[in-house]
Amino acid sequence: MADYIPFVLNALTLISILMVVSMGLAIIFGLMNVINLAHGEFITIGAFTLVAVQAAGGSFWLALLVAPAVGYAIGLVLERALIARVYADPLHAILATWGLSLIIQQVLQLVFGAAPQPVTGPFAGSVDLFGASYPAYRLFLIGFSLAVFAATAVVFRKTRFGLDLRASIQSAEMASVMGIDPARINARAFAFGAALAALAGVLLAPLTSVTAYMGVNYLARSFFVVLVGGAGSVGGVAAGSGLIGGLETFLSYQIPATMAQALVLIMAVIILRVRPKGIVPA
Amino acid sequence: MKHLTALRPATKIALAVMAALALLPFVSEDYVLSNWRDVMLLALFALSLDLFWGRTGILSFGHATFFGLGAYGMAITTTRFGIDPAWASLAGLGMGVGLATVVAALVGYFMIYGGVRGAYFTIVTLAMTIVAHNVAVGWSSVTGGDSGLIGVAPFQVPGVIFASPVQSFALVLTVLALCLSGALRMMNGRAGLVLAAIRDSEIKAETLGYRTSLILLATFVASAAMAALAGALYATGTGFVAPDMIALLLSTEVIIWVAVGGSGSLIGAVIGTVVVWHLQQKVSSVSIAAWPIAIGSFFILLVLVFPKGLPDFVMTQFRRARPGQGGGK
Repeated sequence: MADYIPFVLNALTLISILMVVSMGLAIIFGLMNVINLAHGEFITIGAFTLVAVQAAGGSFWLALLVAPAVGYAIGLVLERALIARVYADPLHAILATWGLSLIIQQVLQLVFGAAPQPVTGPFAGSVDLFGASYPAYRLFLIGFSLAVFAATAVVFRKTRFGLDLRASIQSAEMASVMGIDPARINARAFAFGAALAALAGVLLAPLTSVTAYMGVNYLARSFFVVLVGGAGSVGGVAAGSGLIGGLETFLSYQIPATMAQALVLIMAVIILRVRPKGIVPA
Repeated sequence: MKHLTALRPATKIALAVMAALALLPFVSEDYVLSNWRDVMLLALFALSLDLFWGRTGILSFGHATFFGLGAYGMAITTTRFGIDPAWASLAGLGMGVGLATVVAALVGYFMIYGGVRGAYFTIVTLAMTIVAHNVAVGWSSVTGGDSGLIGVAPFQVPGVIFASPVQSFALVLTVLALCLSGALRMMNGRAGLVLAAIRDSEIKAETLGYRTSLILLATFVASAAMAALAGALYATGTGFVAPDMIALLLSTEVIIWVAVGGSGSLIGAVIGTVVVWHLQQKVSSVSIAAWPIAIGSFFILLVLVFPKGLPDFVMTQFRRARPGQGGGK
């Protein structure tokens, strides 16, 4: 029993982070059919917000509040200035968001330097859980991420914003006939997704090395979550994250981590062949 | 075959470019010549992407994977297995191109037959490059990890070693000319028409009896094999491989080379590579960080200002400026 606890918790760490990161991507993709290649950079922006806040003497908790706000603001500005102009053509959206991603990476590197940034987690030490010892911060991360995901699901289901969002995902035309301003809902949804990614960036920062390129690895994974799970649905994100995160953690116990990633990619491609619309289509 | 006067403009331009390149050894020093050899291989790489992206409209973000597989296949085969040097290059070429063909066929089969097109295809190929890069860095016992592999011998076949700059230049020029003329002939013929039909409406093409998935897959695999050929020869030219030959940035750059030349014209990819490569040397000498920012800005400009490609944009401006003397843009 105790042997399996660390494995389950490791898997849950990756799964819960993927759920928060992919949620934003799934909303943006489901709603606007835009593949946002700059999504990973919002994770990076979140992590660098933590770096900046801590460098200024602030605490981890402050950054946890500030980062989503920063992500939301940057997301809103970028959506209005650039992304809103490229919705019509998916290829253009890919190229434009990719260009954006390259620029954000380089600017961050110019400002902060190339070396990994120092960040400190809110607490050290481990907790005994069913006879296995596990880092306390990771337990917090799992709980907090799941709570954020649940809150997002509630926003999706129960609020006016969520209703407008789901209506627009089903049929943007019909929703706009019913009085939902498409430009406004798109901008808010994009910024909302960016805020979630930035939040994930803060949570991730104490566990990885914080560099300007840290977002790229999560970008690929979260795309597979959305592709495998199904775009634009909360259940799809949960299913996709569970599958991709669980599989990668399981495989990385058996084989080198890079090989595990490659295998997960292959499996995701095979799943796409069988279920092109994902496990839980919107 | 058609008479010379009946040649298409693209073919004429291709002939002119090839002729200009063929004159280089008579006027250039060795160092310049080796640079041009590398540029021509990158141009071959761009040509391979244009063959798929330009003709099917489906963008692959994963072509650096195939280029890298070619390069790593060549490097690993020639430096690690102790094969007779006379045959090692050919074995390495076979290994590199073979690997890329297999990977492209597998990934392509599952995606294309799974109905994955357009943006999804781009994402999956993008992820493929990220994973390939991670493998190249992580599997250091085989790939040399971050530092890559050195000591790749110049290309040789039994009896001939293409060691001097002039010889390797000539080899690469010949390969490029063959690939370009082959691609042009294919695309100006029936295959090009079918691909154009598929790009316009795959359902219509399918209804007409074409096995569109098979045709797309074949184009993808051929394109990947050509990219690997470029990569394998590149490794023999530079003498080493490094993880940045299988990285996302390279996938990105090759898209720019094709986009600058105007995608779909094939020879445009070659010209675009030459132009952008020289530009890159200038920009990078100012600052290393400036180049990715320049690429990023170019992508955004490409989408917002000249969505139909740079040549089309220039031609439109040119036509507009002409009738009104010195008229505004």
